[in-house]
Amino acid sequence: MAGPFVLDRVSILDRLGGDEEIYSMMVDMFLDDVDANSVALANAFASGKALEVQREAHTIKGLLATFSDDDGAAEAQDVEKKAKAGELDRLDDAVGNLQRRLHEVANALRAG
Amino acid sequence: MHTVLIIDDSDINLTLIKALVLKLGECSPVLFDNPLKALEWCRENVPDLVIVDYMMPEMDGLRFISAFRALHGRNEIPVLMITANDQKDIRYDALLGGANDFLTKPIDRIEFSARARNMLSLRTGQKFLADRAKHLEKLVDERTSDIREREKELIFRMSRAAEFRDPETGAHIQRMAHYSQIIARGLDLSPAMGKLILEAAPMHDVGKIGIPDYILLKPGKLTPEEFDVMKGHAKLGYELLKDSGSEILRAGAEVALSHHEKFDGSGYPQGLKGSQIPLFGRIVAVADVFDALTSERPYKRAWSLDDACRFLEEGRGKHFDPMCVEAFLAGWEDVLEVRQRFRDEEIPQI
Repeated sequence: MAGPFVLDRVSILDRLGGDEEIYSMMVDMFLDDVDANSVALANAFASGKALEVQREAHTIKGLLATFSDDDGAAEAQDVEKKAKAGELDRLDDAVGNLQRRLHEVANALRAG
Repeated sequence: MHTVLIIDDSDINLTLIKALVLKLGECSPVLFDNPLKALEWCRENVPDLVIVDYMMPEMDGLRFISAFRALHGRNEIPVLMITANDQKDIRYDALLGGANDFLTKPIDRIEFSARARNMLSLRTGQKFLADRAKHLEKLVDERTSDIREREKELIFRMSRAAEFRDPETGAHIQRMAHYSQIIARGLDLSPAMGKLILEAAPMHDVGKIGIPDYILLKPGKLTPEEFDVMKGHAKLGYELLKDSGSEILRAGAEVALSHHEKFDGSGYPQGLKGSQIPLFGRIVAVADVFDALTSERPYKRAWSLDDACRFLEEGRGKHFDPMCVEAFLAGWEDVLEVRQRFRDEEIPQI
């Protein structure tokens, strides 16, 4: 279980070369898409299609990494790997946790 | 302006990379969230840099690179592939599959800028070399063309030098050369061969340079001894032109040596018969005799065209190769056009 998400604005901005404009754009896009990303993961899992779960987890991994959420990205990577191995039966809790993590990061960015 | 193709199924990544590309300056990003559509675009357009994500639903980055590289002229376009940190094996596969470099997610602007700039510099270098190669090729073509023109002019002037000591005219050289080309065309020789005989035929009598004036310019009939000397011009012309590095001069040597051979073996200097006589020699024999007959000279009137044609027809298989006579007569309209174009009283065109 990942620890609570702490927004490290400095580190994210540093990676974006200190560009506030790009940072704001990324935050807006994340917030616009977060519900859709969460639902896509849940739907992929519900459909039992391992490849789709793997892809959705991969996308979420990238999104969380973009905002320096290393713990969240590691959780997404775990889901991605298990889906790739076809182990969907072991992912029930992990998928739920990942959906919650997405919203946790979204809330921090809104407050941020 | 560099065209940068960006392919990623994630909108947020597309937007981020586009923003970073625009920050590079002098770049025009083209975005696709579907690699298949990007590939379609690449069939008609040539990007300067491709940035492609690895994991995409319709076609992954490795397959995209492979398909992209298979397109004509896309083999050297720089490709940056975006992978996650934990995808080391995929990076190896991509390297083998044609990616030039990698970006890892999450994308770091400094790293992105450095790698993208390196790739664009590589592309600029490629374009520079390609432009330079094209420029040099054009320059070589121009120079070669100049040299060939000078070669043609020199050949013409050399042929004229021989003819100046003879009643023949510059127009005769032009006409017989063009008649030779008409025959070559009628024999279905390639356009290149037709051009070669056009340029080589004027040298047929260049050996006359070595014939003494008292024989060459003698108004009356030559004695048998004098005629023997006169016949030497074929060998002299050959000796003058043989072993040249120029294909035209080598063809000229062949024509000089063989244009007085006769199809039935009664010609000179070697008494060759039929197909033993080089084809260019058989062709020039018809062209040269026809023009000599139909031209007026201080010592003779010009034959009528009908009489000259009859002479050629009667000489089939004796003096002339029947195929060459047939090809000449088949190109009669062109023959008349050449006669009209190169008249004796006009200054011949070089």
